[in-house]
Amino acid sequence: MRNPLFQFVVAAFATIFFGVTFHVPSRHYIACGIVGAVGWVTYLVCHDLGGLSPATATLVAVLPLTLLCRIFAVRFRAPVTLYLLCGIFPLVPGAGIYYTAYYFLQDEGALCAERGFETLKIALAIAFGIALVSAIPLPRHRALPRK
Amino acid sequence: MDMNTPETQARAMHLVMDAGKLLLENGGEVFRVQQTMQIMADSLGIEGFNTYVVTNGIFASANACNEVRHIPSVSIHLARVEAVNELSREIAAGSLDLAGAETRLKEIRSLPARHPGVLIASAAAGSACFGYLFGGGLPETLAALAAGIVESILVQLCRRWHISRIFSDIISAAAGTAIALLCRLLWPPLDVSTAAIGALMVLTPGVSLAMGIRDIINADYLSGAIRLLDAVLVAGCLAGGVVLTYTAARALWGVAL
Repeated sequence: MRNPLFQFVVAAFATIFFGVTFHVPSRHYIACGIVGAVGWVTYLVCHDLGGLSPATATLVAVLPLTLLCRIFAVRFRAPVTLYLLCGIFPLVPGAGIYYTAYYFLQDEGALCAERGFETLKIALAIAFGIALVSAIPLPRHRALPRK
Repeated sequence: MDMNTPETQARAMHLVMDAGKLLLENGGEVFRVQQTMQIMADSLGIEGFNTYVVTNGIFASANACNEVRHIPSVSIHLARVEAVNELSREIAAGSLDLAGAETRLKEIRSLPARHPGVLIASAAAGSACFGYLFGGGLPETLAALAAGIVESILVQLCRRWHISRIFSDIISAAAGTAIALLCRLLWPPLDVSTAAIGALMVLTPGVSLAMGIRDIINADYLSGAIRLLDAVLVAGCLAGGVVLTYTAARALWGVAL
């Protein structure tokens, strides 16, 4: 694994650049960057050092990422989406999509199917991770008004 | 202000609908839109308010009037989502009346979108970062930057000319891969895949994926399914774009894959 600190910083910047294209207000840039970088470095640690499969490593990485989103959302009184939409990007299986197409073209049926299946697994891991953490009750600033 | 005249009821209804539309078209989740509209309507004293929200439409009825909004396309502007959120909180706290809320909503709607140049630059910089993160060295990072620039210019042009998203995704993915391939002509040892993936990350359906999941978690299955379908469709378009470029490259120059 390459220099983790440098990976953290670059991942944070990548997330912030996505935040700019989504018009995130600038006061949230740092929080967005931290969310994305924590997800990416956790993924790297699990995948490169821990030897987990990409899908499992993604699942493990989504957990602290989503938790941070929710903590920042409460702390800075902003919608969770604001952090989640930007922070999730380093984990989205762009490489999986690319290699599926690449092997498809080379008539490597087995590799293509393997990559396509892995892409699906990573997407499901992201879904599952977000769902798990979203279910944890956290203190809110205001309760929903009861009718 | 007397909230019980039919005129003010209609005005309040109009405000709540516009706020909901603003949220939905700028990237709010269905659940949030529904909740925000309900809170605003209760706080403004709209009688008999009920609403149903899906990915591209809002239906609401009240005793005074019924309204429908159609949201044909979503373009993510999270600053507006946050501002409407804040607005609803203030209305609920009672610190804004109807007229004040109308003015605020108008201000939020006119929150500027960033200059296209800034959007292109940040998307390209994002591509370069991903080129590095996925194991690229300096050449791959620079190639991803170049591919990202071309790609995001295309995305902006397609948006300006109202070209369908499907076509825009295919073309941009194809162009990004093509630039990465061209860079290899300049620098033969370049790892084309890493550079192309870096550029592709900007186009990946991360937004649809994350929002679809959140909709489904909140039991808005229909909206969630629409967004997840969108994510699958975009992923397919990107793969199609990559295939398109490689096929063309093989046919034209016989580039070894």
